[in-house]
Amino acid sequence: MQGIVALQPYVIAAFLAWAAVLKLFSRRMRSQAGQTALARLVGPARAIPLLRLVGLAELAVAAALLLPPSSPWEGTAAEALSLGFLAYLGYTAVAAPASSCGCLGAHAQPVNVRGFARAGLLLTMSLAAIPAPPFRPDPPHLLLGLAEAVALLVLSPELDRHWLTPLRQLLVRLRKPLAVPDGREIPPEVSLRLLYRSPAYCTASARLTSDVQDVWEEDGLRFVSYAAGARTAVFAIPLSGGDPSAVRVALVEEPAPA
Amino acid sequence: MARSKPTDPPVDLLGPVQGEVSWFCCGTAWGPCSTTGRGACGTCNSGSLQHAWPNTSDACWAITRPDVCGDSLSRRTCGFRHQTTSLCGGASVITSIADCGPQTDLFCGERSCCGATCASNRLIDLTPAAYSRIASLSTGLRPCEISTA
Amino acid sequence: MTSRRQLLKSAVLGGGATVVAATAMGSLGAEAAFGAAAPQVEPGTPDPDFAEGRIRSIKDNTLLVLGSNLVFRSIRVVDGTSLWKLGPVGFDQAKPGDGLYARGVRMPDGVLAAESVWLNIINIKGHITNITSEKIHLDHHGKEILCHVVPGRSVAIHSDAPASADLSLLRVGQHVQILGAWRPDTNEADIATVFSPH
Repeated sequence: MQGIVALQPYVIAAFLAWAAVLKLFSRRMRSQAGQTALARLVGPARAIPLLRLVGLAELAVAAALLLPPSSPWEGTAAEALSLGFLAYLGYTAVAAPASSCGCLGAHAQPVNVRGFARAGLLLTMSLAAIPAPPFRPDPPHLLLGLAEAVALLVLSPELDRHWLTPLRQLLVRLRKPLAVPDGREIPPEVSLRLLYRSPAYCTASARLTSDVQDVWEEDGLRFVSYAAGARTAVFAIPLSGGDPSAVRVALVEEPAPA
Repeated sequence: MARSKPTDPPVDLLGPVQGEVSWFCCGTAWGPCSTTGRGACGTCNSGSLQHAWPNTSDACWAITRPDVCGDSLSRRTCGFRHQTTSLCGGASVITSIADCGPQTDLFCGERSCCGATCASNRLIDLTPAAYSRIASLSTGLRPCEISTA
Repeated sequence: MTSRRQLLKSAVLGGGATVVAATAMGSLGAEAAFGAAAPQVEPGTPDPDFAEGRIRSIKDNTLLVLGSNLVFRSIRVVDGTSLWKLGPVGFDQAKPGDGLYARGVRMPDGVLAAESVWLNIINIKGHITNITSEKIHLDHHGKEILCHVVPGRSVAIHSDAPASADLSLLRVGQHVQILGAWRPDTNEADIATVFSPH
């Protein structure tokens, strides 16, 4: 138990230092700071200086946690930061739910459950760090530290593109969720896109005054009708073959309804 | 990546430029549009004849980067007028800038064709009112020619 | 097969007295076709021949629509009017609560005589965050939109390649444009077309 408590300052410090570096040195952050919830809170002009200030505070707390001597105030400072994060996330969720938090650099991800879970985990770790005695590294505690670090990373939506997206890409490649079984009907949109490539459509499109009125199939052809002023334009599109020049068109004077 | 200002001569400076046109919604209270707001100029409405342009400001340019696709475009600000002509049938519409977009660099090299006429790269986004003047909304993406009005 | 369809089919395949020759169409430029249309509306201003909003009620052939500017508009649908709801549909498919765009001609009494009506149509661009069974999860301005693949209807277009019902070339992490039909009061939609740049 003592070992777990002793470990916390180091994991927290590593995470805070990394977040601080991204806030202080990332050029992308500068360009996207105006879209974060912080900009909503203090105005776009103050967003960058304030983000940098927060980054400096994180760096200071990280340094205090890492460097001897250790005192309960370090854990308290980390706890204060975590409480501040949670309050800021709460504000973001209510006032600017579509904005990113700007917590780990600038990759625009709106605040969600994972962000709250991450802040909550940091808060718990900070509380545990308050009474922390000096840390003596041994394998079980190092493994726990690693597990905590992984948990913090997994709860960071800003990092999804490094691991979650490739994982999903692999699953899609293996499972093929959108594979089409043979023998499915040809969607009408396939015929319409062939129509747009056809010379028949080029001659008639200036006369069309509506979107597609009616679509039906017969004898290997798909028929599509549009309004063309007072008349009706009808196209005949082959269902197989894919040759745009095979599309036929007629402009029809329909008899007035009886 | 450093934000760089456009350095090549803009392709739209001396004459019309061909590219792709799509449509987007703004100020609409229904659907996924309801969180989009009134655009970068604060005046955008789906029912008005307006458009989004990739170079309305430095911040806009940093997002759209049409030069990455080979099409550097002139700086034009809110209210500036362009004429968009469909390469399919020749219908045209004159609109004024109300927003920043489209994100040209995310669709680099994409081509759209009508008949045998094709154009590449998304250079302009119209509101539904404007797009429906030159093409049906269900077409989604069309080749066009853009000129100053 | 209705008699209207029979008439149109025989016209396009066989010609006949009711057909205007295609060459006559080709000789007219766009200017002639649109010459009788209303003069150009002032750019930046609302287009009077266009309506946008949600359907509040339907009576006979008229849709009462509440615009996003909180102004009501009546839209009259006639035989020649096209209706779109993930594809061409009949008037009976229009329901209160549907989002709507409509283009037509503004009558002197303010009613819009509709030429085209599009119900719940959306055209959203974003990153694909995940692909699960018959669903594409799209990140649109930071919000997730769940887009459903509709068998027999959804297609993918990769740049200028022909449209295909096979969506399996789409990749998690890529940017796409999805044209589809919003499912009212949800963050979900049905896919008509996915436009992929490559």
